[in-house]
Amino acid sequence: MSLFTLGKLKKLRVVVSLILFIPVSFLFLDPWNSIPPQASNFLVSLQIIPSFQKILVYSGVTIAGLFFVLALTLAFGRVYCSTICPLGTLQDLIIRVSKKFQKRKRYQYKKPHYALHYWIFTAVTASSVAGSMALMNLLEPFSNFGRILTNAVDPIFLLGYNTVASLLVRLQVYALYNIPVRDFSLVPLLPSLLFLAVVAYMSYKHGRLFCNTLCPAGAFLGLASRLSLFKIAIDENTCTECGACEKVCKANCIESSTKRIDYGSCVNCFNCISSCPTEGVVYRNVFSKKHAINHDLVNQPRRKFVGALALPLLGILAPAFKPADTTRAAGSGYDDNRLRPITPPGSKSVRHFSSLCTACHLCVSACPTQVLYPSFLEYGLTGVFQPRMNYSSSYCNYDCNLCSQICPSGAILPVDAPAKKEIQIGKANFVKEDCVVVTNKKDCAACSEHCPTKAVHTVPYEGKLLIPQLDNDICVGCGACEHSCPTTPRKAIYVSPNPVHLQAKKPKVEKSKDVFDSKQDFPF
Amino acid sequence: MDRRTFFRKSIGTSIAVGSYMAFGKYTDLIAAAPITYDLVAVKGGTPDVMFDKGIEALGGIGAYVKKGQKVVIKPNIGWDVPPERAANTNPLLVSTIIKRCLDAGAKEVYVFDHTCDTWNRCYKNSGIESAAKSAGAKIASGNFEIYYHDITIPGGKTLTSAKEHELVLDSDVFINVPVLKHHSGSTLTCAMKNLMGNVWDRKFWHRTDLHQCIADFATFRKPHLNVVDAYMVMKTNGPRGVSTEDVVAMKSLLISADIVAVDAAAAKLLGNNPNDIRHIQLAAEMKVGRKDLDKLNIKRITV
Repeated sequence: MSLFTLGKLKKLRVVVSLILFIPVSFLFLDPWNSIPPQASNFLVSLQIIPSFQKILVYSGVTIAGLFFVLALTLAFGRVYCSTICPLGTLQDLIIRVSKKFQKRKRYQYKKPHYALHYWIFTAVTASSVAGSMALMNLLEPFSNFGRILTNAVDPIFLLGYNTVASLLVRLQVYALYNIPVRDFSLVPLLPSLLFLAVVAYMSYKHGRLFCNTLCPAGAFLGLASRLSLFKIAIDENTCTECGACEKVCKANCIESSTKRIDYGSCVNCFNCISSCPTEGVVYRNVFSKKHAINHDLVNQPRRKFVGALALPLLGILAPAFKPADTTRAAGSGYDDNRLRPITPPGSKSVRHFSSLCTACHLCVSACPTQVLYPSFLEYGLTGVFQPRMNYSSSYCNYDCNLCSQICPSGAILPVDAPAKKEIQIGKANFVKEDCVVVTNKKDCAACSEHCPTKAVHTVPYEGKLLIPQLDNDICVGCGACEHSCPTTPRKAIYVSPNPVHLQAKKPKVEKSKDVFDSKQDFPF
Repeated sequence: MDRRTFFRKSIGTSIAVGSYMAFGKYTDLIAAAPITYDLVAVKGGTPDVMFDKGIEALGGIGAYVKKGQKVVIKPNIGWDVPPERAANTNPLLVSTIIKRCLDAGAKEVYVFDHTCDTWNRCYKNSGIESAAKSAGAKIASGNFEIYYHDITIPGGKTLTSAKEHELVLDSDVFINVPVLKHHSGSTLTCAMKNLMGNVWDRKFWHRTDLHQCIADFATFRKPHLNVVDAYMVMKTNGPRGVSTEDVVAMKSLLISADIVAVDAAAAKLLGNNPNDIRHIQLAAEMKVGRKDLDKLNIKRITV
């Protein structure tokens, strides 16, 4: 590699990161669901933690994405953090802004926080192995980025979009349609904003501090990058110890006085190479003998990691992170059932879903009916922010399987549309004494009207009235009945979850008999 | 209608009538006046052919749509199912009506519905969005409250106020184009029930007294024309249906300005006695229209 191209590495990094950042951001904002699932899958398969979760339960394009990132890291170091990770690019954007306000901004070498970082990494890994995604979801970069976009940016985006759409309608132009905005709730919004504030502060003040203290992907890739074939290094012969590289190092990992670089912290932004006036910072094959490199001074994160791994304490703590017991018998209580979360078709069971979902909210922003809604504590402490089916805001469209097609973590496994129609995620419960037909002695049947399988149908009641009746063998638990039920304050029909999803029978199909056809005379 | 709408409308109408008197052909006005049939029933053809034959018997579309008028067509687009399931109005019928209105000189033709399933999927998968757009209509959404405005229904017993879509409020000609279907709550859904898609809050209807509210709302605004799509008819599992097995081919179409008469005739097609359908009975009692089919002047056409 000639030195001429090395100087351009930073530019290349900026271009690649934006090429990935823009479509990944748009995945969460796309008001028309215009990005095909295949493209979405390809983009998110590069996100290392969701992809790792997914290959535990599913293969497909994810494997290629994950292995690509691993191979990339082993070849070139932590380039993931500077190009692929959308939170990394977001931090770089914040850092760019910070430079506008702090004209004399200079970074300085700081001792890496390996002990802290690997403690956190071990705790995150151990708890997710034990079945709790709580810590992982609090720290995983892609999912946090997704939550910020879904809960804080998207509503603002839609507000603007809808304002334009409404103004156009007033001008009799029906080119844009309003897009429904999810019911406002502070819970997904505030934690997302809080996280954004923390990351913004850290990056504004200290560059890539988040990536090197809290980020689980950063910790893992920091270890893997130790083995990388290409590394940044300082050439003893050409370096003049001017310190230019150290001043631009947002990972604080270059100590120019000792010519040392902490590879566990370096995010391969290549700012140092561009900044060096003497071509003293090189990016070279580790077997190359061309440059004079002092290897002894390179800081090793490995020992710290082994120390952290050996902590037996976590093994004792692990059972505390066990997912909430979701297997207790269904029907254990009227109100209890209503509070328990229902997981989307394809997620197999509450346990499967809750132990894999990184709460990136991609499904929440893509769901065309907006039935998928961020939870808070509904899954217990172990599954904070993971989405659930919210039948007060909407119901699951019978013909739609979009969430299963795009889930990055395998929490919702792909199911094709016909198979999805036979997955029973819950069962309808009819509370006859609350039903309009009983309380009012008037016809209603909003529930049965909306039911896609006619698991809720009507039968004669007290003369000419029609009252709902259930056939739960063919109920899929979509929530159309619950959503459309007009009774207040309690719905007379509601769906209780299947902790483990079941197979619904196919709806009964019987050919309707003709009563009138065009060959007969009109019956009037 | 509030006062402002009334003024706006009366000014608009005065201008329209005035300019018509000044510049238009008086013969057109006279020709438009007599409607000889209470109801036209057509069978045996495709929806487009049946509509053309039927409207011809009523004096042509020009009897209802005048040059420069704003027409709103309200099909049933309630469900996210394909056309062959017959849960939504036949797209060919919708596009034919749009074309005829535009041929008659309508300034613009709008199509909308307040759907039950997710609206953009309903519009797309019913085939109505693309059919309407290619026929030259504008498609508007009915699923946002901001487009609905308060109305009072003086003739209503239970439903005395509602919020109606502004397109209907501002229209010169309103054409109701329901699809005839079985309905698990109201036994059948046709012209009067289709008007539920004009209002915002339907839960009140369901919660209070569905049939009475349907009849009450029919007192508020009688569509200028009701065109009932009975080409493919959902006989069971309505109004959404489960499969194409629910659907039978009736190859029929009903047209009438009398919303009660057209529903009564439709009930007969479906095999129901109109007197057993409470909203038909209530609407007839409230003098919205007539259900005594044997006393009506009906034109029957076989294509």
